[in-house]
Amino acid sequence: MAMENDKLFVELEASQWIKTGQAACGDDFRCVRIPNEKRTIAVLSDGLGSGIKANLMASMTSTMALEFVRSNMDILQSAEIIMDSLPVCEIRKISYATFTVFDMQLGGKTRVVEMDNPPFIHLRNLIDLPKNNVKELVSERWPDRKMRITEVAMAPGDRLIAFSDGVTQAGLGCPGWKFGWRRDGALNFIKRTVEKNPEISARDLASVIAAEAMSIHPERKCMDDITCMVLYLRHPRVLRVITGPPFRKETDREYANLAVFPEGKVVLCGGTTANIVSRELRTRVDIDIKMVSRSGNLPPPGYMRGVGLVTEGILTLTQVAADLESGDWQNSAAAAKEIVNLMMDSDIVEFIVGTKINEAHQDPTLPVDLEMRRNVIKRLQASLENKYRKNVTIRYF
Amino acid sequence: MSEQGMIKVEVCCGTTCYLLGAQSLLALEKSMPAPWIGKVEIVAMPCLEVCTNDNYSHAPFVRINGEIVGDATVDLISKKVNDLLERHAQ
Repeated sequence: MAMENDKLFVELEASQWIKTGQAACGDDFRCVRIPNEKRTIAVLSDGLGSGIKANLMASMTSTMALEFVRSNMDILQSAEIIMDSLPVCEIRKISYATFTVFDMQLGGKTRVVEMDNPPFIHLRNLIDLPKNNVKELVSERWPDRKMRITEVAMAPGDRLIAFSDGVTQAGLGCPGWKFGWRRDGALNFIKRTVEKNPEISARDLASVIAAEAMSIHPERKCMDDITCMVLYLRHPRVLRVITGPPFRKETDREYANLAVFPEGKVVLCGGTTANIVSRELRTRVDIDIKMVSRSGNLPPPGYMRGVGLVTEGILTLTQVAADLESGDWQNSAAAAKEIVNLMMDSDIVEFIVGTKINEAHQDPTLPVDLEMRRNVIKRLQASLENKYRKNVTIRYF
Repeated sequence: MSEQGMIKVEVCCGTTCYLLGAQSLLALEKSMPAPWIGKVEIVAMPCLEVCTNDNYSHAPFVRINGEIVGDATVDLISKKVNDLLERHAQ
Protein backbone atom coordinates (compact mmCIF):
# COMPACT_ATOMS: atom_id res chain seq x y z
CA MET A 1 0.00 0.00 0.00
CA ALA A 2 1.27 3.42 -0.74
CA MET A 3 -0.15 6.73 0.27
CA GLU A 4 0.96 10.30 0.46
CA ASN A 5 2.01 11.49 3.87
CA ASP A 6 3.11 15.06 3.35
CA LYS A 7 5.79 14.44 0.76
CA LEU A 8 6.64 10.98 2.00
CA PHE A 9 5.09 7.65 1.27
CA VAL A 10 3.89 4.85 3.44
CA GLU A 11 4.59 1.54 1.79
CA LEU A 12 2.81 -1.27 3.56
CA GLU A 13 3.03 -4.89 2.52
CA ALA A 14 2.77 -8.35 4.04
CA SER A 15 3.94 -11.81 3.13
CA GLN A 16 2.39 -15.08 4.27
CA TRP A 17 3.06 -18.81 4.29
CA ILE A 18 0.33 -21.28 5.13
CA LYS A 19 0.95 -24.10 7.59
CA THR A 20 1.81 -27.23 5.60
CA GLY A 21 -1.28 -29.34 4.96
CA GLN A 22 -3.79 -26.54 5.56
CA ALA A 23 -5.98 -24.97 2.93
CA ALA A 24 -6.25 -21.53 4.50
CA CYS A 25 -3.90 -19.27 6.43
CA GLY A 26 -4.67 -18.95 10.13
CA ASP A 27 -3.24 -15.42 10.12
CA ASP A 28 -4.87 -12.46 8.48
CA PHE A 29 -3.52 -9.17 7.22
CA ARG A 30 -5.59 -6.26 6.06
CA CYS A 31 -5.11 -2.56 5.62
CA VAL A 32 -6.95 0.56 4.64
CA ARG A 33 -5.95 4.02 3.68
CA ILE A 34 -8.03 7.07 4.42
CA PRO A 35 -6.73 9.69 2.01
CA ASN A 36 -8.66 12.66 3.41
CA GLU A 37 -7.23 12.01 6.89
CA LYS A 38 -3.83 11.08 5.41
CA ARG A 39 -3.99 7.99 7.52
CA THR A 40 -2.96 4.37 6.97
CA ILE A 41 -4.20 1.53 9.16
CA ALA A 42 -3.00 -2.06 9.00
CA VAL A 43 -3.84 -5.09 11.10
CA LEU A 44 -2.10 -8.43 11.45
CA SER A 45 -4.09 -11.04 13.34
CA ASP A 46 -3.26 -14.61 14.32
CA GLY A 47 -6.19 -16.94 15.00
CA LEU A 48 -6.08 -19.81 17.49
CA GLY A 49 -4.92 -23.06 15.91
CA SER A 50 -4.68 -23.34 12.16
CA GLY A 51 -6.73 -23.88 9.04
CA ILE A 52 -10.21 -22.59 8.32
CA LYS A 53 -11.22 -22.10 11.97
CA ALA A 54 -8.15 -20.00 12.70
CA ASN A 55 -8.61 -18.15 9.45
CA LEU A 56 -12.15 -17.20 10.44
CA MET A 57 -11.09 -15.98 13.86
CA ALA A 58 -8.17 -14.02 12.46
CA SER A 59 -10.33 -12.47 9.72
CA MET A 60 -13.06 -11.53 12.22
CA THR A 61 -10.48 -9.97 14.51
CA SER A 62 -8.68 -8.02 11.83
CA THR A 63 -11.93 -6.78 10.26
CA MET A 64 -13.29 -5.59 13.59
CA ALA A 65 -9.99 -4.09 14.73
CA LEU A 66 -9.62 -2.20 11.47
CA GLU A 67 -13.13 -0.75 11.72
CA PHE A 68 -12.84 0.17 15.41
CA VAL A 69 -9.49 1.88 14.96
CA ARG A 70 -10.72 3.65 11.87
CA SER A 71 -13.70 5.06 13.75
CA ASN A 72 -11.43 6.12 16.65
CA MET A 73 -13.29 3.95 19.14
CA ASP A 74 -11.82 3.38 22.61
CA ILE A 75 -9.26 0.64 22.15
CA LEU A 76 -10.00 -1.27 25.35
CA GLN A 77 -13.69 -1.39 24.57
CA SER A 78 -12.83 -2.49 21.01
CA ALA A 79 -10.71 -5.36 22.28
CA GLU A 80 -13.48 -6.47 24.64
CA ILE A 81 -16.00 -6.52 21.81
CA ILE A 82 -13.60 -8.53 19.68
CA MET A 83 -13.04 -11.10 22.45
CA ASP A 84 -16.74 -11.29 23.29
CA SER A 85 -17.52 -11.96 19.63
CA LEU A 86 -15.05 -14.78 19.06
CA PRO A 87 -16.05 -18.35 19.85
CA VAL A 88 -14.41 -19.76 22.98
CA CYS A 89 -11.94 -22.62 22.58
CA GLU A 90 -13.31 -25.70 24.33
CA ILE A 91 -9.91 -26.83 25.58
CA ARG A 92 -8.30 -23.57 26.58
CA LYS A 93 -11.52 -21.76 27.49
CA ILE A 94 -10.34 -18.60 25.81
CA SER A 95 -11.54 -16.80 22.75
CA TYR A 96 -8.31 -16.48 21.05
CA ALA A 97 -6.94 -14.24 18.41
CA THR A 98 -4.00 -11.89 18.69
CA PHE A 99 -3.47 -8.69 16.78
CA THR A 100 -1.05 -5.91 15.97
CA VAL A 101 -2.39 -2.63 14.60
CA PHE A 102 -0.34 0.08 12.91
CA ASP A 103 -2.27 3.33 12.83
CA MET A 104 -0.17 5.91 11.03
CA GLN A 105 -1.39 9.43 10.82
CA LEU A 106 -0.32 12.65 9.18
CA GLY A 107 3.33 13.52 9.73
CA GLY A 108 4.44 10.03 10.75
CA LYS A 109 2.69 10.03 14.16
CA THR A 110 1.90 6.38 14.69
CA ARG A 111 0.07 4.39 17.28
CA VAL A 112 0.80 0.68 17.55
CA VAL A 113 -1.69 -1.48 19.42
CA GLU A 114 -0.57 -5.01 20.24
CA MET A 115 -2.26 -7.91 21.90
CA ASP A 116 -0.18 -11.05 22.39
CA ASN A 117 1.70 -10.93 19.09
CA PRO A 118 5.53 -10.82 19.21
CA PRO A 119 6.58 -7.20 19.96
CA PHE A 120 6.96 -5.12 16.81
CA ILE A 121 10.29 -3.75 15.58
CA HIS A 122 10.86 -0.05 14.91
CA LEU A 123 13.93 -0.04 12.71
CA ARG A 124 15.93 3.13 12.19
CA ASN A 125 19.50 3.06 10.85
CA LEU A 126 19.78 -0.66 11.62
CA ILE A 127 18.74 -0.07 15.24
CA ASP A 128 15.61 -1.47 16.87
CA LEU A 129 14.59 1.74 18.61
CA PRO A 130 13.65 1.23 22.26
CA LYS A 131 10.03 2.11 22.95
CA ASN A 132 9.62 4.81 25.53
CA ASN A 133 5.97 5.70 25.27
CA VAL A 134 4.18 2.49 26.14
CA LYS A 135 0.88 2.04 27.94
CA GLU A 136 -0.48 -1.30 29.12
CA LEU A 137 -4.20 -1.93 29.38
CA VAL A 138 -5.99 -4.88 30.93
CA SER A 139 -9.66 -5.63 30.48
CA GLU A 140 -11.63 -6.39 33.62
CA ARG A 141 -13.59 -9.02 31.80
CA TRP A 142 -10.57 -10.64 30.16
CA PRO A 143 -7.84 -10.23 32.78
CA ASP A 144 -5.49 -12.68 31.04
CA ARG A 145 -5.18 -10.48 28.00
CA LYS A 146 -2.88 -7.49 28.07
CA MET A 147 -2.77 -4.79 25.45
CA ARG A 148 0.21 -2.59 24.74
CA ILE A 149 -0.21 0.78 23.13
CA THR A 150 2.95 2.40 21.84
CA GLU A 151 3.21 5.89 20.42
CA VAL A 152 5.91 6.06 17.77
CA ALA A 153 7.27 9.10 15.93
CA MET A 154 8.28 7.91 12.49
CA ALA A 155 11.10 9.59 10.57
CA PRO A 156 11.79 9.20 6.85
CA GLY A 157 13.47 5.86 6.20
CA ASP A 158 11.96 4.21 9.29
CA ARG A 159 10.36 0.79 9.14
CA LEU A 160 7.83 -0.87 11.41
CA ILE A 161 7.88 -4.65 11.28
CA ALA A 162 5.41 -7.02 12.92
CA PHE A 163 4.99 -10.75 12.62
CA SER A 164 2.93 -13.63 13.88
CA ASP A 165 4.51 -16.17 16.23
CA GLY A 166 5.02 -18.44 13.21
CA VAL A 167 8.08 -16.26 12.55
CA THR A 168 9.54 -16.10 16.07
CA GLN A 169 8.83 -19.78 16.77
CA ALA A 170 10.17 -21.04 13.44
CA GLY A 171 12.22 -24.18 13.96
CA LEU A 172 11.17 -24.48 17.61
CA GLY A 173 12.60 -27.59 19.25
CA CYS A 174 14.78 -28.49 16.29
CA PRO A 175 18.54 -28.96 16.59
CA GLY A 176 20.14 -25.53 16.57
CA TRP A 177 16.80 -23.84 17.20
CA LYS A 178 15.90 -25.09 20.65
CA PHE A 179 13.80 -22.01 21.34
CA GLY A 180 12.98 -21.22 17.75
CA TRP A 181 14.21 -18.32 15.63
CA ARG A 182 12.94 -15.87 18.27
CA ARG A 183 12.54 -12.14 17.85
CA ASP A 184 16.29 -11.59 18.17
CA GLY A 185 17.04 -14.07 15.41
CA ALA A 186 14.55 -12.37 13.13
CA LEU A 187 15.90 -8.94 14.09
CA ASN A 188 19.49 -9.92 13.26
CA PHE A 189 18.36 -11.28 9.92
CA ILE A 190 16.44 -8.06 9.20
CA LYS A 191 19.46 -5.91 10.10
CA ARG A 192 21.72 -7.95 7.81
CA THR A 193 19.20 -7.74 4.99
CA VAL A 194 18.71 -3.98 5.31
CA GLU A 195 22.45 -3.40 5.65
CA LYS A 196 23.00 -5.19 2.35
CA ASN A 197 20.12 -3.42 0.64
CA PRO A 198 19.32 -0.19 2.52
CA GLU A 199 16.42 0.75 0.25
CA ILE A 200 14.75 -2.64 0.18
CA SER A 201 11.01 -2.20 -0.35
CA ALA A 202 8.44 -3.23 2.25
CA ARG A 203 7.21 -5.87 -0.19
CA ASP A 204 10.64 -7.46 -0.63
CA LEU A 205 11.57 -7.22 3.05
CA ALA A 206 8.32 -8.85 4.23
CA SER A 207 8.79 -11.54 1.64
CA VAL A 208 12.41 -12.39 2.58
CA ILE A 209 11.63 -12.44 6.32
CA ALA A 210 8.71 -14.83 5.80
CA ALA A 211 10.78 -16.98 3.42
CA GLU A 212 13.69 -17.13 5.89
CA ALA A 213 11.35 -18.15 8.72
CA MET A 214 9.94 -20.82 6.43
CA SER A 215 13.41 -22.12 5.53
CA ILE A 216 14.27 -22.66 9.22
CA HIS A 217 11.55 -25.28 9.54
CA PRO A 218 12.86 -28.83 9.17
CA GLU A 219 12.37 -30.18 5.64
CA ARG A 220 10.76 -26.83 4.81
CA LYS A 221 7.54 -28.07 6.34
CA CYS A 222 5.75 -25.04 7.70
CA MET A 223 4.70 -25.92 11.26
CA ASP A 224 2.67 -22.76 11.85
CA ASP A 225 1.20 -20.01 9.72
CA ILE A 226 3.76 -17.31 9.00
CA THR A 227 2.89 -13.67 8.42
CA CYS A 228 5.18 -10.68 8.32
CA MET A 229 3.98 -7.13 7.76
CA VAL A 230 6.29 -4.23 7.01
CA LEU A 231 5.55 -0.53 6.96
CA TYR A 232 8.17 1.63 5.29
CA LEU A 233 8.07 5.43 5.37
CA ARG A 234 10.05 6.78 2.46
CA HIS A 235 10.27 9.05 -0.51
CA PRO A 236 7.96 7.83 -3.24
CA ARG A 237 9.14 5.85 -6.26
CA VAL A 238 7.48 7.09 -9.39
CA LEU A 239 6.96 5.33 -12.70
CA ARG A 240 5.84 7.43 -15.65
CA VAL A 241 4.13 5.57 -18.48
CA ILE A 242 3.92 7.61 -21.66
CA THR A 243 1.66 6.23 -24.38
CA GLY A 244 -0.01 7.45 -27.54
CA PRO A 245 0.65 10.44 -29.77
CA PRO A 246 -0.65 13.81 -28.48
CA PHE A 247 -3.90 15.12 -29.93
CA ARG A 248 -2.18 18.25 -31.28
CA LYS A 249 1.11 17.93 -33.08
CA GLU A 250 2.22 21.34 -31.73
CA THR A 251 2.53 19.80 -28.26
CA ASP A 252 4.93 17.07 -29.40
CA ARG A 253 7.95 18.78 -27.88
CA GLU A 254 6.27 19.42 -24.54
CA TYR A 255 5.10 15.79 -24.56
CA ALA A 256 8.57 14.46 -25.40
CA ASN A 257 10.17 16.50 -22.63
CA LEU A 258 8.08 14.54 -20.11
CA ALA A 259 10.17 11.50 -21.02
CA VAL A 260 13.20 13.09 -19.37
CA PHE A 261 12.37 12.34 -15.76
CA PRO A 262 15.34 11.89 -13.43
CA GLU A 263 13.05 11.71 -10.35
CA GLY A 264 11.68 8.35 -11.44
CA LYS A 265 11.53 5.74 -14.17
CA VAL A 266 9.95 6.04 -17.60
CA VAL A 267 8.33 3.61 -20.01
CA LEU A 268 7.35 4.59 -23.53
CA CYS A 269 4.52 2.41 -24.83
CA GLY A 270 3.95 2.68 -28.55
CA GLY A 271 6.01 2.92 -31.71
CA THR A 272 4.66 6.35 -32.66
CA THR A 273 5.20 7.59 -29.11
CA ALA A 274 8.80 6.36 -29.19
CA ASN A 275 9.33 8.02 -32.56
CA ILE A 276 8.01 11.38 -31.35
CA VAL A 277 10.26 11.28 -28.28
CA SER A 278 13.18 10.05 -30.33
CA ARG A 279 12.71 12.83 -32.91
CA GLU A 280 12.27 15.63 -30.36
CA LEU A 281 15.04 14.54 -27.98
CA ARG A 282 17.36 13.42 -30.77
CA THR A 283 17.99 10.06 -29.24
CA ARG A 284 17.29 6.61 -30.58
CA VAL A 285 15.68 3.34 -29.64
CA ASP A 286 17.69 0.14 -29.57
CA ILE A 287 15.81 -3.11 -29.76
CA ASP A 288 17.84 -6.17 -28.96
CA ILE A 289 16.87 -8.65 -31.64
CA LYS A 290 17.95 -11.45 -29.32
CA MET A 291 14.94 -10.50 -27.21
CA VAL A 292 12.68 -11.78 -29.99
CA SER A 293 12.90 -15.34 -28.72
CA ARG A 294 11.80 -14.20 -25.24
CA SER A 295 9.25 -11.71 -26.44
CA GLY A 296 6.38 -14.22 -26.56
CA ASN A 297 3.30 -12.95 -28.34
CA LEU A 298 4.34 -9.30 -28.12
CA PRO A 299 6.85 -7.18 -30.03
CA PRO A 300 10.23 -7.17 -28.31
CA PRO A 301 11.03 -4.37 -25.83
CA GLY A 302 13.76 -1.84 -26.51
CA TYR A 303 15.62 0.89 -24.63
CA MET A 304 16.07 4.56 -25.27
CA ARG A 305 19.22 6.03 -23.79
CA GLY A 306 18.45 8.68 -21.17
CA VAL A 307 14.79 7.68 -21.07
CA GLY A 308 14.19 3.99 -20.34
CA LEU A 309 12.13 1.07 -21.53
CA VAL A 310 10.35 1.25 -24.89
CA THR A 311 7.61 -1.18 -25.89
CA GLU A 312 4.85 -1.53 -28.43
CA GLY A 313 1.66 0.20 -27.30
CA ILE A 314 -1.83 -1.18 -27.18
CA LEU A 315 -1.13 -4.94 -27.36
CA THR A 316 1.49 -4.69 -24.63
CA LEU A 317 -0.66 -2.55 -22.34
CA THR A 318 -3.62 -4.90 -22.84
CA GLN A 319 -1.35 -7.79 -21.81
CA VAL A 320 -0.15 -5.81 -18.77
CA ALA A 321 -3.79 -5.21 -17.75
CA ALA A 322 -4.56 -8.93 -18.07
CA ASP A 323 -1.42 -9.85 -16.08
CA LEU A 324 -2.29 -7.44 -13.28
CA GLU A 325 -5.86 -8.70 -13.17
CA SER A 326 -4.80 -12.36 -13.00
CA GLY A 327 -1.89 -11.67 -10.65
CA ASP A 328 0.34 -14.02 -12.64
CA TRP A 329 3.00 -12.58 -14.92
CA GLN A 330 5.90 -14.96 -14.43
CA ASN A 331 5.48 -16.46 -17.90
CA SER A 332 4.23 -13.36 -19.61
CA ALA A 333 5.85 -11.87 -22.71
CA ALA A 334 9.07 -9.96 -21.98
CA ALA A 335 7.70 -6.47 -22.69
CA ALA A 336 4.62 -6.91 -20.46
CA LYS A 337 6.63 -8.55 -17.68
CA GLU A 338 9.16 -5.72 -17.61
CA ILE A 339 6.38 -3.13 -17.32
CA VAL A 340 4.59 -5.07 -14.55
CA ASN A 341 7.83 -5.41 -12.58
CA LEU A 342 8.48 -1.67 -12.88
CA MET A 343 4.92 -0.99 -11.69
CA MET A 344 5.33 -3.31 -8.71
CA ASP A 345 8.51 -1.49 -7.68
CA SER A 346 6.77 1.89 -7.74
CA ASP A 347 4.42 3.74 -5.38
CA ILE A 348 3.02 6.16 -7.92
CA VAL A 349 2.21 5.31 -11.52
CA GLU A 350 1.70 8.37 -13.69
CA PHE A 351 0.07 7.75 -17.06
CA ILE A 352 0.62 10.39 -19.72
CA VAL A 353 -1.85 9.46 -22.44
CA GLY A 354 -1.83 10.93 -25.94
CA THR A 355 -5.36 11.00 -27.30
CA LYS A 356 -4.83 11.13 -31.05
CA ILE A 357 -6.56 8.27 -32.82
CA ASN A 358 -4.05 5.99 -34.43
CA GLU A 359 -5.17 5.65 -38.04
CA ALA A 360 -3.11 2.52 -38.53
CA HIS A 361 -5.28 0.75 -35.95
CA GLN A 362 -8.35 1.31 -38.12
CA ASP A 363 -7.05 -1.16 -40.72
CA PRO A 364 -9.94 -3.57 -41.46
CA THR A 365 -7.55 -6.42 -42.20
CA LEU A 366 -6.27 -6.56 -38.62
CA PRO A 367 -6.97 -10.01 -37.18
CA VAL A 368 -8.02 -8.72 -33.72
CA ASP A 369 -10.10 -5.90 -32.32
CA LEU A 370 -7.78 -3.43 -30.65
CA GLU A 371 -9.07 -2.01 -27.44
CA MET A 372 -9.27 1.75 -27.05
CA ARG A 373 -6.16 3.08 -25.34
CA ARG A 374 -8.19 5.01 -22.80
CA ASN A 375 -10.17 1.92 -21.81
CA VAL A 376 -6.99 -0.07 -21.23
CA ILE A 377 -5.59 2.73 -19.09
CA LYS A 378 -8.77 2.68 -16.99
CA ARG A 379 -8.42 -1.09 -16.52
CA LEU A 380 -4.80 -0.60 -15.45
CA GLN A 381 -5.79 2.14 -13.04
CA ALA A 382 -8.49 -0.03 -11.42
CA SER A 383 -6.09 -2.96 -10.89
CA LEU A 384 -3.18 -0.86 -9.68
CA GLU A 385 -5.30 1.07 -7.19
CA ASN A 386 -7.59 -1.63 -5.90
CA LYS A 387 -5.46 -4.75 -6.09
CA TYR A 388 -1.92 -3.44 -5.75
CA ARG A 389 -2.61 -0.32 -3.67
CA LYS A 390 -0.65 2.04 -5.91
CA ASN A 391 -1.39 5.71 -6.41
CA VAL A 392 -2.34 6.35 -10.02
CA THR A 393 -2.61 9.62 -11.89
CA ILE A 394 -3.70 10.02 -15.51
CA ARG A 395 -2.98 13.04 -17.64
CA TYR A 396 -4.40 13.25 -21.15
CA PHE A 397 -2.49 15.05 -23.86
CA MET B 1 24.99 -1.51 -48.94
CA SER B 2 25.30 0.48 -45.76
CA GLU B 3 28.51 2.18 -44.68
CA GLN B 4 29.80 -0.98 -43.08
CA GLY B 5 29.03 -2.90 -46.25
CA MET B 6 26.07 -4.66 -44.66
CA ILE B 7 22.58 -4.94 -46.04
CA LYS B 8 20.28 -3.57 -43.38
CA VAL B 9 16.80 -5.02 -43.02
CA GLU B 10 14.69 -3.02 -40.57
CA VAL B 11 11.51 -4.78 -39.50
CA CYS B 12 8.68 -2.55 -38.25
CA CYS B 13 7.38 -3.70 -34.86
CA GLY B 14 4.46 -1.28 -34.71
CA THR B 15 1.14 -2.75 -33.62
CA THR B 16 -0.31 -3.13 -37.11
CA CYS B 17 2.79 -4.64 -38.68
CA TYR B 18 3.26 -6.97 -35.75
CA LEU B 19 -0.31 -8.24 -35.94
CA LEU B 20 -0.01 -8.74 -39.68
CA GLY B 21 3.10 -10.90 -39.53
CA ALA B 22 6.21 -8.97 -38.45
CA GLN B 23 6.96 -11.63 -35.86
CA SER B 24 7.73 -14.22 -38.54
CA LEU B 25 9.94 -11.69 -40.31
CA LEU B 26 11.99 -11.16 -37.15
CA ALA B 27 12.48 -14.91 -36.98
CA LEU B 28 14.65 -14.54 -40.10
CA GLU B 29 17.42 -13.36 -37.80
CA LYS B 30 17.63 -16.83 -36.31
CA SER B 31 17.18 -18.78 -39.51
CA MET B 32 19.38 -16.66 -41.74
CA PRO B 33 20.59 -18.46 -44.90
CA ALA B 34 24.33 -19.18 -44.81
CA PRO B 35 25.28 -16.77 -47.65
CA TRP B 36 23.72 -13.89 -45.69
CA ILE B 37 25.81 -14.31 -42.58
CA GLY B 38 28.16 -11.36 -42.11
CA LYS B 39 26.50 -9.51 -44.97
CA VAL B 40 22.96 -8.94 -43.78
CA GLU B 41 21.82 -7.28 -40.55
CA ILE B 42 18.24 -7.69 -39.38
CA VAL B 43 17.01 -5.18 -36.79
CA ALA B 44 13.69 -4.54 -35.08
CA MET B 45 12.34 -0.97 -35.24
CA PRO B 46 9.70 0.67 -33.02
CA CYS B 47 7.47 1.83 -35.93
CA LEU B 48 8.44 2.96 -39.39
CA GLU B 49 5.23 5.05 -39.56
CA VAL B 50 4.47 4.22 -43.16
CA CYS B 51 1.19 2.35 -42.64
CA THR B 52 -0.82 5.58 -42.74
CA ASN B 53 0.91 6.78 -45.89
CA ASP B 54 -1.13 5.97 -48.98
CA ASN B 55 1.98 5.97 -51.16
CA TYR B 56 2.96 2.63 -49.74
CA SER B 57 1.15 -0.67 -49.95
CA HIS B 58 0.13 -2.58 -46.86
CA ALA B 59 1.56 -3.73 -43.52
CA PRO B 60 3.77 -5.48 -42.53
CA PHE B 61 6.55 -3.18 -43.64
CA VAL B 62 10.30 -3.57 -43.71
CA ARG B 63 12.98 -1.17 -44.86
CA ILE B 64 15.79 -2.74 -46.83
CA ASN B 65 18.78 -0.41 -47.18
CA GLY B 66 16.45 2.56 -46.95
CA GLU B 67 13.80 1.25 -49.37
CA ILE B 68 10.34 0.65 -47.90
CA VAL B 69 8.87 -2.73 -48.78
CA GLY B 70 5.19 -3.33 -48.02
CA ASP B 71 3.23 -6.59 -47.75
CA ALA B 72 6.50 -8.05 -46.59
CA THR B 73 6.88 -11.80 -46.34
CA VAL B 74 9.91 -13.95 -45.68
CA ASP B 75 9.97 -14.88 -49.38
CA LEU B 76 9.76 -11.28 -50.54
CA ILE B 77 12.55 -10.18 -48.20
CA SER B 78 14.68 -13.14 -49.25
CA LYS B 79 14.22 -12.22 -52.91
CA LYS B 80 15.07 -8.55 -52.35
CA VAL B 81 18.11 -9.34 -50.24
CA ASN B 82 19.37 -12.01 -52.65
CA ASP B 83 18.98 -9.54 -55.53
CA LEU B 84 21.03 -6.97 -53.62
CA LEU B 85 23.69 -9.52 -52.76
CA GLU B 86 23.90 -10.60 -56.41
CA ARG B 87 24.15 -7.03 -57.59
CA HIS B 88 26.98 -6.36 -55.17
CA ALA B 89 28.78 -9.52 -56.17
CA GLN B 90 28.93 -8.47 -59.82
